[in-house]
Amino acid sequence: MSIQVALAGNPNSGKTTLFNALTGSNQFVGNWPGVTVEKKEGRYKGDKEIKITDLPGIYSLSPYTLEEVVSREFLLKEKVDVILNIIDGSNLERNLYLTTQLLELGIPVVVTINMLDVIDKRGDKIDYVKLSKELGCPVVPISALKNRGIEELMETVVKSAQCSFETKNIYSTELNLVLDQLSHLLPGSLDQHKTLFYSVKLFERDNKIITSLNIKIEDENIIQSIEKKMDDDSESIITDARYSYITDLIKDCYVKVNREKLTSSDKIDKIVTNRLLALPIFALVMFVVYYVSVTTVGTYVTDWTNDVLFGEMIPPAIEGFLVAINCAAWLQSLILDGIVAGVGAVLGFVPQMLVLFIFLAVLEDCGYMARVAFIMDRIFRKFGLSGKSFIPMLIGSGCGVPGIMASRTIESDRDRKMTIMTTTFIPCGAKLPIIALIAGALFDGASWVSPSAYFLGVGAIIVSGIILKKTKMFVGDPAPFVMEMPAYHAPRVLNVLRSMWERGWSFIKKAGTVILLSTIVIWFLQSFGFEDSGFVMVDDINNSLLATIGQTFAWIFTPLGWGEWKAAVASITGLVAKENVVATFGQLYGFAEVADDGVEIWGTLAASFTALSAYSFLAFNLLCAPCFAAMGAIKREMNNAKWTAFAIIYQCVFAYAVALIVYQLGNLIINGVFSIGTIVAFIVLVGMIFLLVRKGKTSEKLEVQYSVH
Amino acid sequence: MMPLIFAELNEENIVKKIGGNNETKHHLENLGFVPGSLVSVVTKNNGNIIVSVKDSRVAMSKELAKKIMI
Repeated sequence: MSIQVALAGNPNSGKTTLFNALTGSNQFVGNWPGVTVEKKEGRYKGDKEIKITDLPGIYSLSPYTLEEVVSREFLLKEKVDVILNIIDGSNLERNLYLTTQLLELGIPVVVTINMLDVIDKRGDKIDYVKLSKELGCPVVPISALKNRGIEELMETVVKSAQCSFETKNIYSTELNLVLDQLSHLLPGSLDQHKTLFYSVKLFERDNKIITSLNIKIEDENIIQSIEKKMDDDSESIITDARYSYITDLIKDCYVKVNREKLTSSDKIDKIVTNRLLALPIFALVMFVVYYVSVTTVGTYVTDWTNDVLFGEMIPPAIEGFLVAINCAAWLQSLILDGIVAGVGAVLGFVPQMLVLFIFLAVLEDCGYMARVAFIMDRIFRKFGLSGKSFIPMLIGSGCGVPGIMASRTIESDRDRKMTIMTTTFIPCGAKLPIIALIAGALFDGASWVSPSAYFLGVGAIIVSGIILKKTKMFVGDPAPFVMEMPAYHAPRVLNVLRSMWERGWSFIKKAGTVILLSTIVIWFLQSFGFEDSGFVMVDDINNSLLATIGQTFAWIFTPLGWGEWKAAVASITGLVAKENVVATFGQLYGFAEVADDGVEIWGTLAASFTALSAYSFLAFNLLCAPCFAAMGAIKREMNNAKWTAFAIIYQCVFAYAVALIVYQLGNLIINGVFSIGTIVAFIVLVGMIFLLVRKGKTSEKLEVQYSVH
Repeated sequence: MMPLIFAELNEENIVKKIGGNNETKHHLENLGFVPGSLVSVVTKNNGNIIVSVKDSRVAMSKELAKKIMI
């Protein structure tokens, strides 16, 4: 018999650990329909007939957050045989609040109390038998982390699926009278077991439910009279009833050993989130993370993948094989120069990313990441972003793809979209060669060029944050920050590795599809063209289709000071992967291969650029749409074609505006050149300043989001 | 009655009332901030605070802490 189990619980209750322990590698990760909330499904290791759906971490079944809405939709609409409710035993009271709501759904519930080890260590006592009797459902203690009690738990789940189930009614006689009256409004077709849940929702005036049932509460008096009597709104009356019930319940079943008021977690927080120490500690942690994953270990493994694996090992092997089977020259070129070189360049970032992901997962799992959001919130709020936006940007300094993916942890839809749009303004690892090229060729290797690129990125984020927040799309008071801070604990190796792998794998998949396809297209454009003998495979890239295309729209960049087609073409290839920019310049100037910083072409480049046009080129390439891999990530996280297009167009327009201002106004100040371009640049600058300082739209509604992580 | 932002560090207080609009209020209630529950401020950081409530720690901004009356 197949059984559908829904795993429900508060965030930080150990739900993910339990889900992993139950399903092992039998997992399928997707999205809930229509939203970017992650949906995980899997089958129980011990019995493949048991299908487990991991609901998002929620505190309640109210209609306020996406997570709550998808969870209750699933519980109401799908055929769920058993709800497995995981409870953090060290935080019984708050966790039972959700339980009281799950018990009203008319679906068999099995409560499992997690963190046995923590409870035992503290010396607390929970009377499971009594708790089970009071709640009217089985209660099974487990330790998800230590894998204790899992089998017994699943036996209970199977048993419960076969039994009938009584909903738990915790309300006073007076309230029940009202609920009973309201239940008569419910359509007769409704599942009888769910009457209590729906009556409560009617009482709470839950609009989503009322609309979905297509009914109207004609007689508001029923609700209003009791609201008046209890001097509170109906929803708070229900909340209060639940907490009162829980308080009474716990008195009988839970003995809490008197302990010190400050837990060790609190003591850490006193230091780590201290007004003065928070930022220095944070900077130190980030420095270590960044240093190890980007500079030392990361660079080492990346270099090895790029130079050895995709340099000395794979291409020669494939070449040898292709030669041996007498493969056609064009196909050889496609496979080696196109696919292997292109995809290889992208896959070269995987090891570095994995190292970053490990750090990220460790910081998340041990609880520090939540504190980072807390610390950074005050600062980021000033320009319309939330504290949680900082993490994606930090990772984005290594690679934009995992950076954009890290925006998932931001629940507020607006904040997340804005973070996705601005994260790639921070120069990523692949943009560093462009900076080195320009700095070396035009600025004599001046040490200010590279930091200025980062300031440009940070400036772009701040300016964009302020501008976007004032548009209609992002209007609204910043969502007030509320987030549960999990107690600090040692990171769990399995969770860390799993999280690293999940993120890394989604990137590798991307490299296998979007990037594979685009490398083939660019290779084709680069390798074919019209020569005297007609349409052939060209030896000279100057004759290629790519060059033709570059020539047709190079004029677009003339106002930016680099209307020469070669620069235009270099920018296009940069869309595939930013490190291509330097390599393309090399090819276009007639070098087969150039060093990372393109030292061979510095002379030629210096001749065709001025310092100003070079900086304008740099600014445009740093800020414009990122590489295909990152655009793929934007599309995936936006989960909406319109928003993806908007993000990419915004980035390009913004980059163009900045480059225009840099070149034209720079030309006026330094060389005294005044032209139509100068006027346009002035207008753009004034426009930007206007967008920055204008009074933004205001919203009447104060919205609250809370964390699910 | 005073808002939670004025509470002394580590001092236990009883929540008397939750203000704000319905949505804000119900969110705070779902997180355990109901009249009668014990709260104490663990740390303060530029106006944002971490509060201990019902055995869990909740970080919140000044704007929200103003809505919780103790």
